[in-house]
Amino acid sequence: MDVLIPAILGSLMLAGKLLLIIVPLVTIFEVLRHLTVFQRAGRAIDPLMRGMGLTRDAAVPLFTGIFLGIAYGAGIIIRVAREKRLPGRHLFLMGLFLATCHAVVEDTLIFVVLGGNGWIMLGVRILLAVGLTSLMARVLRN
Amino acid sequence: MSEPVPDIPTRLRTGFFSGLQTALKLCKFVVPIYIAVDLLKTTAVVDRLGALFAPAMRLFGLPGEAAFAFIAAFLLNLYAAIAIMAPLDLTPWQVTQCGLMMGIAHNLLIEGGVLGSTGARGGLLTLCRLVIAGGVGFLLELLHRLWSL
Repeated sequence: MDVLIPAILGSLMLAGKLLLIIVPLVTIFEVLRHLTVFQRAGRAIDPLMRGMGLTRDAAVPLFTGIFLGIAYGAGIIIRVAREKRLPGRHLFLMGLFLATCHAVVEDTLIFVVLGGNGWIMLGVRILLAVGLTSLMARVLRN
Repeated sequence: MSEPVPDIPTRLRTGFFSGLQTALKLCKFVVPIYIAVDLLKTTAVVDRLGALFAPAMRLFGLPGEAAFAFIAAFLLNLYAAIAIMAPLDLTPWQVTQCGLMMGIAHNLLIEGGVLGSTGARGGLLTLCRLVIAGGVGFLLELLHRLWSL
């Protein structure tokens, strides 16, 4: 019994922390998602997209993936990729970026709950995704 | 974006309830996994199996038991992984290391399928994720060791 009670308490603490993170996060995202600032931010990031061998068409699936995650944003990602008929090279580059760097806010926060350093986790993933995708964009061109 | 824009109270409500729904769904399996691992820790099972993985995990500066969290992260998701990690008493550095590596490679079966269904090569991308996660983990541990010399 003296092992079971701390185990149950510990698990409930973890569950509580997860609730405290996810509920506000999803609520804030839902409120902010429709703001035009987001659309304008898309334009500002155009040069970076070109550097990674991608165009405007890939922006919506890319941003959906970065913030929501692949599994969660799957519907939007698949639909846009089909509708815009993104070429194979773009699909691969976008996939490579998303494979390394998606659901960054949520993923980072759940490890911060356990005491991890969020800035290292977030920074390395973003730099790595941008770097690798730009590199592959150059390699695949030839 | 042809989607109609709902007003703020509606968005608050939608967000709150879908967040609550996601969180509760996760808690339903985080709680039993955490309890199971915490109880198994008092037996020799975790130690024995952990020792098996210890040499591989040492490359990344992690204890052998962390391998279970990686298996859970690869096959299931990060919530299962942190439910396993939480009772293991890892240092903040080790949590960062796990977070970075698992952040890159997790939920491989489902996400590989999604990436594949966009028309990209899902299998190849999944392999990339594993290689990248391993490479980054190894480099970060190397840097960490140099730093603490």
